[in-house]
Amino acid sequence: MSFDVKYCLIAICTLCFHLETQGQVLSDTMRTKDIPQVTVTSDRTNSPGAVSASKRADARLMQATGTLQVSDVIKYMSGATVKDYGGVGGLKTVSVRGLGASHTAVAYDGIIITDNQTGQIDLGKFSASQAESVRMVSGPDNDLLQPASLAAQAAVISINTGLPQLKEGKSRNSAQLKYGSFNTLSAQAESAFKAGQSNTVSLQAEWLKTKGDYPYMQNNGASSIEMRRDNSDVQRLRVEGALHSNLSDNSRLTTRAYWFQSEQGLPANILYNENAARERLWNRNGFVQSTLTTSVSHRLTLRFNAKYGITYTRYLDPKVSNTQGRTDNRYTEQEGYLSGVALYRITDCLSASAGVDGHLSGLDGNGADQARPTRYTLNSTAAIKYASEQITVTGRLNHVITKEKTILRQAAESYNHLSPTAGLNWTVWPAAGLHLRASYSNTLRLPTFNDLYFEQIGRRDLRPERASVTSAGMVIENEAAGIRYSVYADAYNCDVKDRIMAVPGKNTAVWMMKNIGLVTTHGLETGLELHALQGLVRPALLVSYTYQRSMDKSDSNSSTWNHQLPYTPRHSASAVTWIETPYVNASLNLLYSGEYFCNGYNGPEYRMPRYYELGCSLWRTFSIKSFDISLKAECINLTDSRYELVRNYPMPGRQVRLTATIEL
Amino acid sequence: MKRALKILPLILTVLACDPEPVLLEQSQVIADAGYTGIYVLSEGLFNQNNSSLAWIDFGIGQPDSWNPSAGRSFDCFEKVNGRRIGDTANDMILYGSRLYIAVSESSTIEILDASTCRSVSQIPLQRNGVASQPRRLTANGGFVYVCCFDGTVTRIDTLTMQADATITVGRNPDGICCANGKLYVSNSGGLDTQNPDNTVSVIDISTFTETNRITVRENPGSIYADGTSVYVVSRGIFDYGTMNYDSRLHRIDTETDQVTATFDIPVLNMDIVDGKAWFYGYGAGGTIQILDLATGQVTDSDFITDGTRVECPYSIKVEPTSRKVYVCDAMDYVTPGSLLCFSPEGRLLYRVPGIGINPNTVVFCDADVTLTQYQGEPEIIGDIDRVFEYMPAPGQFVNLLPKYEPGDDAASMAAKCLKVLQSGGMVTLGAFGGYITAGFNATVQNQEGPDFRIDGNAYNGNAESGVVWVSADANGNGQPDDAWYEIWGSEQKAGRATPGYAITYRKPAAQDGNSEWRGSDNRTGSILHNTFHSQPYYPQWYSIDSISFTATLLPDNVEFTNNVYVMSSFEYGYVDNKPDSPENSAFDIDWAVKPDGTPANLTSIDFVRIQNGVIGCNTTTGELSTEVSAIYNLNRPVE
Repeated sequence: MSFDVKYCLIAICTLCFHLETQGQVLSDTMRTKDIPQVTVTSDRTNSPGAVSASKRADARLMQATGTLQVSDVIKYMSGATVKDYGGVGGLKTVSVRGLGASHTAVAYDGIIITDNQTGQIDLGKFSASQAESVRMVSGPDNDLLQPASLAAQAAVISINTGLPQLKEGKSRNSAQLKYGSFNTLSAQAESAFKAGQSNTVSLQAEWLKTKGDYPYMQNNGASSIEMRRDNSDVQRLRVEGALHSNLSDNSRLTTRAYWFQSEQGLPANILYNENAARERLWNRNGFVQSTLTTSVSHRLTLRFNAKYGITYTRYLDPKVSNTQGRTDNRYTEQEGYLSGVALYRITDCLSASAGVDGHLSGLDGNGADQARPTRYTLNSTAAIKYASEQITVTGRLNHVITKEKTILRQAAESYNHLSPTAGLNWTVWPAAGLHLRASYSNTLRLPTFNDLYFEQIGRRDLRPERASVTSAGMVIENEAAGIRYSVYADAYNCDVKDRIMAVPGKNTAVWMMKNIGLVTTHGLETGLELHALQGLVRPALLVSYTYQRSMDKSDSNSSTWNHQLPYTPRHSASAVTWIETPYVNASLNLLYSGEYFCNGYNGPEYRMPRYYELGCSLWRTFSIKSFDISLKAECINLTDSRYELVRNYPMPGRQVRLTATIEL
Repeated sequence: MKRALKILPLILTVLACDPEPVLLEQSQVIADAGYTGIYVLSEGLFNQNNSSLAWIDFGIGQPDSWNPSAGRSFDCFEKVNGRRIGDTANDMILYGSRLYIAVSESSTIEILDASTCRSVSQIPLQRNGVASQPRRLTANGGFVYVCCFDGTVTRIDTLTMQADATITVGRNPDGICCANGKLYVSNSGGLDTQNPDNTVSVIDISTFTETNRITVRENPGSIYADGTSVYVVSRGIFDYGTMNYDSRLHRIDTETDQVTATFDIPVLNMDIVDGKAWFYGYGAGGTIQILDLATGQVTDSDFITDGTRVECPYSIKVEPTSRKVYVCDAMDYVTPGSLLCFSPEGRLLYRVPGIGINPNTVVFCDADVTLTQYQGEPEIIGDIDRVFEYMPAPGQFVNLLPKYEPGDDAASMAAKCLKVLQSGGMVTLGAFGGYITAGFNATVQNQEGPDFRIDGNAYNGNAESGVVWVSADANGNGQPDDAWYEIWGSEQKAGRATPGYAITYRKPAAQDGNSEWRGSDNRTGSILHNTFHSQPYYPQWYSIDSISFTATLLPDNVEFTNNVYVMSSFEYGYVDNKPDSPENSAFDIDWAVKPDGTPANLTSIDFVRIQNGVIGCNTTTGELSTEVSAIYNLNRPVE
């Protein structure tokens, strides 16, 4: 494991050099530093003016919920279901409104993250420290400058790095150290500075290592034993840098280079009488992406995005009874992406936009019988929006066309589909801050390379999965007596048609991917938020509740007719409360999930018990000379609640974490 | 508009409950003559640890493990053992009085007592710390053989209930059968999808070595013995054009070990009775067909005549006498499957739904089965608390059951015996005359009917009968130094036994030498050292070079017919004489006699001695040696 040490050294060296040069500049301004005013700015977690249900987690909410990985905070967003295999390294995917993880796109600074191999993005790979905010929009977005590929998604989770907040407009440097249970250590360094009049550079490096050997109970009646999770170590390194340039008053260019690499063990599922986890996984992901936004006139705004990315994955099982005595799969997925959107303000209220995204993605691997596919995708979109004081109406038409090539075996046919979305937000009672909103979206997700070509299972004749979502809801957001309060409730109906699933083929020996069935979800998301805006002691409370009834409507003669979708609790809830005082800040958070099933057949043997997880934290920020120091102590799973989210993959029990941050 | 309207009713249904799984009606189970019921093994779902075992009792006409409120069977293994079998139980056989289960993903062999479903041994199978993944089982001559996906075949001694030898074969064995004194193992090589194996390993049973590899088509799987022929399914290489296998069936002649015929019939699984195979195939949906193995012609392309639909056949078994056909239906693999019983004409006789998830093995059972709820691991089995003397004659299990370790003496071996007997394990008495003396933890009162019980390891055709002696602690000193009375079984009573037969065994010069013996009538013989058990057969803690015993000699019960040794049971009154049961293993104190043969009229006993009463040897399984297991006081005072 020399790679992390090596890269870490490089990262630290670059950073140290930079800190040195910036230190001189800072010393001059130190004395004139003001005592900061208390202002609460960005606590708006649901956008009241949005046409779709929309949740946003900012740094403060991530602090209060003990978020280490981005997936942690999504658990607090109503309407999202996180499938978590436990521990830092366990896969964490998000399904919004019972649509399935592949209908949830993940965007990094406005550009979609593509994984055409599996179609699922592991949100555990993104650290909370790289996100200034995380936003989840379940339906059409108000933003007309959204690229075509994101506009065509049923739900989007956006990880936004934000613009670096420079101290006195000059620079910002920080270092952070985290230590937690089960030998978890992470170190992070960040630097942002002005480079010339119009450029801001930000650099960030983060390194994490964990053994992750948390204890769990292997329940098997009289043979139950307490065990420790094995082969659960993770090492990660992320280095990224961004250049934010204001080319002119009307043009902004952001370019980002990103590198992530990890080595981890894959803990085995609980297996009675046999526990030999030995599989390893390596990941390397690098990309360069750039966004240019330019206002040509006060009516016309253009945005261009470009990206080149490469993802390397290696999976190793060192002991397999085949000829090689091992399974060693290596995959390389490369993507190129170009996008353009034009927004035209026809009148003050009426705007229209059109955009095109071209995407090229190829998968290569070391297996002799791999198809090695390449997919060319062209997403186009046209949208119109009417936005007055009281009412916002959006309408959009998306189109996708693909062409596929393979080196081995026959490639899938081209896909060519149209999908519309529409939305409405009506401020019914402006004085009370009451908004009504409604949206409809018809989106699709293309079959992944695994769906089409994976060994004997993949089938090239698959159709895309179609999701149509109708949603209606209300938001009240207002302020009274120094408290901002908001209440929201959204009810929805989702249908996912032509679901792609592995089913037995003509006989029991050959399984295959097939478009099968229909899932209908009725759901309700609701929540309440209270924020004290003034005073020395400022409490806040966020409560949310989700109801999801996801029914298998594929075949009325099937044994799973009307059964609840697996891993989808009917009832789930969360609560976060925190209090900020001049001395110390404290938070308490709670996650609750009702019963659910781990199989599409809702037999008693697949029932998963309800669980809850409680956490708390204390943190304090103070200054010594020019250093802002923040110390934080967290307890995750305070009550040591033992549960499995995914059957046979135990979740960690009680953990403590200590964080020290120094900023200048 | 229609979509928007859907939102209203959903708010009203917020508090609705999940639908209960709809299950098929269970019809009346019809008994098959000669059996008490059927065990059905279900493998469960991969990596869900939910393999299960169901017991369908012909006596009550429904699964004994049937749970009426749930409308399905519960796992009788879990009920009895307080834990679950594990992950992906692949195969099960009944051999002797025990069930052997190969649990692939958990990589264990579970050995169960068929009459109680209690696990008597759990054997983990690993090689270099990696799971061996046992797949299929077969049995022969007191041994169970299991082929494992890591390219090995392991032999399990049914007496010690331990794996005693492992050999390597081809890649990823997927089937094993026994024919003509040989084992046939199909090497699938299925983990190399584009480069599978294409051989069948031939293993000589007596030496347990691979002697030959027969080349067949690629990816051989299920393998079946039928007399002197072996049939093996070869699946071929997966064809990405048709997205399927192109499967064939080979016939192998076990005299020449050559492939003598290949049928273009895509068999997936079958069962052979009288040269006919009932099978379901690749690409054939749920159709059951009949194949004439002599001609290779399908004689019935749709066995089911009443329109009954089998969604997904997962196992097929034909009862050889009644010709009823039992089919396991895995349904959609996630719903608990069904067992369907068809008449020989293909009409559905009954259906047992909810038998388990992915039922894969049907075993007909003739034992009296009683399933009792797990009450925690019993600390002590049986009612003895002392072993005074352990004096085995030489034998192939001596120094093994229990194990002799350097430094052991008569006292430490007796202590080991007590521990073994109290945990339900097995103690060997060696050849004729060897004995053990034990004391009950409370006086056994002589009451109406049977008073005490001694278990052994007999099964039909494998009696190794031991004579029982009893004694009461008349002088109250706690030592077995009082008068001993013989329990007369059927043979003494009928005057067919020889009382007071004396025998002397000599210690062989070599560790693996034969132990010679001479009887009081000058008969001679020897205890032959065999290839199955390599340890010395003469008790290693004996300081003398010859050992003599005097015992009651029972009539010769060994017969050699049709190439098979049969050791027939006597009518009653002996240990290790008939399969263990409350009836077969029980003794009445009233059967005790004085030396002159008149009733001893004992009111109670405190000590018991078991002594091997047979001289006999067969060349397959070695000399006859009584094995003793748990000893119970049936009139135990109520606590």
